[in-house]
Amino acid sequence: MKGRLSRVAWHVGVLLLLAVVLYPLVWVVAATFKPSNEILGDLRLLPTEPTTANYERAVDGVNGVGIGRYFLNSGLLAVLSVVGTVSSSALAAFAFARLRFRGRSAMFAVMISTLLLPFHVLIIPQYIVFQRLDLVDTYVPLLIGKFLASEAFFVFLVVQFIRTIPHELDESAKIDGAGPWRIFWNIVLPLARPALVTTAIFTFIWTWNDFFGPLIYLSTPDKYPLPLALQLFIDEASGSDFGALMAMSVLALVPVVLFFLFFQRFLVEGVSTSGIKG
Amino acid sequence: MKRFRALVVPVVALLLAATTASCGGSGGGGEAEESGGPVTLRFSWWGNAERAALMQQALDLFHTKNPSITITPSFQEFEAYWQKVATETAGGNAPDVMQTDFAYLREYADRHALYDLKKQEGKNLDLGDLIEGLKGAGEIKGGLYGVPVGGNTWGYVYNPALYAQAGVAEPKLGWTWDDYRAGSKQITEKTGISGSANPVGTYYNLELQLLQEGRSLYTDDGKLGFDKARLASFLADGKKMADDRSTLPVEKAVQIKPKHPLESDLVAGAGAWDNFLDRYSKSTKAELKIAPSPSDNPKALGQYIKPALLLSVSQKSEHPAAAAKLVSFMINDPEVGKIFGANRGLPPTNAQRASAQLTGPLAAVAAYEDGLKDQLIKTPPAPPKGAGALEQAFIRITEELLYDRTTVDQAADQFFTEADETLGS
Amino acid sequence: MATITPTRPADAVPAGAGPRKRARRSDDGITGYFFLSPWILGVLLLTLGPMATSLYLSFTDYDLFDTPRWIGLDNYARMFSDQRWLRSVGVTVLYVALAVPVKLAAALGVALLLNSKRKGQGLYRAAFYGPSLIGGSVSVAIVWKTMFSDDAAVDQVLRVFGIETGGWSGNPDFSLLMLVLLAAWQLGAPMVIFLAGLKQVPKELYEAAEVDGAGPWRRFASITLPMISPVIFFNLLMETIHSFQVFTSAYVVGGPNGQPAGTTLFYTVYLFDRGFGDYRMGYAAAMAWMLLLVVGLITALLFRSARGWVHYSGEKS
Repeated sequence: MKGRLSRVAWHVGVLLLLAVVLYPLVWVVAATFKPSNEILGDLRLLPTEPTTANYERAVDGVNGVGIGRYFLNSGLLAVLSVVGTVSSSALAAFAFARLRFRGRSAMFAVMISTLLLPFHVLIIPQYIVFQRLDLVDTYVPLLIGKFLASEAFFVFLVVQFIRTIPHELDESAKIDGAGPWRIFWNIVLPLARPALVTTAIFTFIWTWNDFFGPLIYLSTPDKYPLPLALQLFIDEASGSDFGALMAMSVLALVPVVLFFLFFQRFLVEGVSTSGIKG
Repeated sequence: MKRFRALVVPVVALLLAATTASCGGSGGGGEAEESGGPVTLRFSWWGNAERAALMQQALDLFHTKNPSITITPSFQEFEAYWQKVATETAGGNAPDVMQTDFAYLREYADRHALYDLKKQEGKNLDLGDLIEGLKGAGEIKGGLYGVPVGGNTWGYVYNPALYAQAGVAEPKLGWTWDDYRAGSKQITEKTGISGSANPVGTYYNLELQLLQEGRSLYTDDGKLGFDKARLASFLADGKKMADDRSTLPVEKAVQIKPKHPLESDLVAGAGAWDNFLDRYSKSTKAELKIAPSPSDNPKALGQYIKPALLLSVSQKSEHPAAAAKLVSFMINDPEVGKIFGANRGLPPTNAQRASAQLTGPLAAVAAYEDGLKDQLIKTPPAPPKGAGALEQAFIRITEELLYDRTTVDQAADQFFTEADETLGS
Repeated sequence: MATITPTRPADAVPAGAGPRKRARRSDDGITGYFFLSPWILGVLLLTLGPMATSLYLSFTDYDLFDTPRWIGLDNYARMFSDQRWLRSVGVTVLYVALAVPVKLAAALGVALLLNSKRKGQGLYRAAFYGPSLIGGSVSVAIVWKTMFSDDAAVDQVLRVFGIETGGWSGNPDFSLLMLVLLAAWQLGAPMVIFLAGLKQVPKELYEAAEVDGAGPWRRFASITLPMISPVIFFNLLMETIHSFQVFTSAYVVGGPNGQPAGTTLFYTVYLFDRGFGDYRMGYAAAMAWMLLLVVGLITALLFRSARGWVHYSGEKS
């Protein structure tokens, strides 16, 4: 009886908190059903005369390029980024957390320091590099860094998780004759799964939402991912269609929510050390 | 540490070589390519989806008429556009043809990023049909760095219903700044809706007053054309209106951004570029009208045709001839005039003005400009480099003034300090 | 846990205990570089060069188009008399001091709430993550400004409690707080990292503690906190670094001028405005390196403090 009561209390509490947290989100979704020019500054939650016109314009896309194309571009970029980031970060993190070699701590410091410089001052030098290599207006500049573990955030994240995995496991594997590669593959990777799943989720979402990289490197509108396409609905100078913009934003949320819902399940199963030892 | 340096030095050297090599304005060649082989041009502009669709129609038409020239379009919204173009230009990879803004023209021209279109005039570029007010716009020190594709003039956009309700005479040619102030006050008192947007928030209101006094924002050698006292009296004026509550409180104006107060029915009027009448009208149910600006000098209205958008060719373009052809087509072809209507401002040439079929608010804008033909003065020279940043500074400083965070004198001082720094170097 | 016993004598030696051990451990040399090779390649190709370039540019007058002109330390010296720079430092420091603890506490609280096995946890997690999914887009700016307008949701709720603010989005006294709340609203990333960390805590520990009669608070303080301390450290460090660099959300809400009245003029917003608005990239680069120095120092201090409170079960203490 007490168990059920506390369960109900828990759900009620979470739901109350959620109501506050989600109110603005609900406003966004509701706003997409309002006439475009009434959205800004409309304090009411629900539309008085709901319309789907915003969605129709969003689906039509911009300048003959339909919304499907943008989804495809975003999807391609996001999936490749996830593959690249997860694999390269795991490799680098394993080296930082478990292997001993000359210059390790210096390199670790370099890695952390790459987090510290605002990227705006790096854009132009980086652009020049890719421009010299004739890779502008391709996806290469947007993806290559992901395969080369350039996002120190994720390397560091995985490092922190690997460091919580008991050393004893490596050691007993070593006694069984396992080399670093087998330790990495059979012990560390499975045990660091929550970190890798987290990396995958964040990479997907952050790539999906990235605006500045694609803005600088892509020029051809049919290569644009969603965030760039979204922005095409607004222009300070020639007038903005906030309705279509927000409708497309809401549509763009769907794959991300699904991705999150699918992958967060892998966070659920905690891996206990004794379980592995089995 | 030693090894670190051994590593870094060559990398830096390499990068610097790349940076400087791309920055030296060696100048695009391409004079040889006058006729012949297929050419691909990159063309970038800012604008919304609607403009992109119109642009595509025009570009398709261009391609049918010039099958050897293919255009790769690229477009973003205004701010993103400038970030991208700046990066591309720094990287030596600017688009062949790009849309430029009057305030940013010299930013690029003075730094040798733009091609002198004088070299193409009469050959691939026909400027003969430009309307009177736009002739010579885009010229800097004898060179031509931008060709206007549209023009508009300042004016006062207002909501006649609120004027009627308050019993204030509608603005018309000949009204004075006193009329404006008294009217705004009365409208606020009678209707509860602010009589006007605060004029100090807009740089062009200052320019307007200066032109009415026979002065200008910038002198020909790129300095400020007014002194601190003049700025202070302009600011004090606006501050007084704010304190009187005859203008929209700044909190409100900031809160509703990016909407204009006219779009949200929060004010009875505001000074604005005339083509904005169309945009504001689309967002409000109120019927809006446009009138000439107030002036204390019946002989000087202080209004001119501003080249709203210009097309420029990159200095690095390998195909300046083809690029000039595209520019010429965009301003002269009557079909293009018809396609765009007033999307780029009112069309730049007589032929395109004739072919553009304007309706609704846009027709009103055209009629407004026609009616002012004899009052307009010559377009001032393109603002000096740094003008874009200085306009931002102006907006920022006046906002702080209206928030009571600074005094009129501090604000004027601050503006002059920033102007020294921005225009000085 | 008791089933795992140290099997290698070296592990019994405290970390960093002399050259002998280091020599033995550097056996991994080639393997280490192999695992690290993508990262090394990335740093050499993509990061180090541009970083060095920006450092060079910070000593020049560089307007993006013309050749950079060497001016030594002028850019750095000028900052200290630049009113806007000083303001941006003030705004940013205040923001970091408020946003980091608020966001981390909220994220940890929600993560603990959502850690237990219950029906619909996936949906709840997604819901709490929801606000973070829309990132720093224009939609966020629109909804956030609307929520905090006068007569809007927040204002009405506050009025119930007798607090009259007249809307936050146009009020310079509240605009920074509005952005702190925006950061807390988008708590998804640290929340997920906390959740992942909580999953790493071996259940046996709780079971053993429960047998010993430890209450929930004791269990939290003596098991959960130390066990997830590496993750807490990670989040603390990252949120600190990110908050110093906060850009997108501030820019979409406050614009390049930090509206209203410069109260949201964050360091990177100002840096960006200098670099891409005024084309003073040399100055922007100097600002960036100044930030790097300061945040680097803070990072180093955090790393140092971590020795005292972060426990890695993978490493002997």
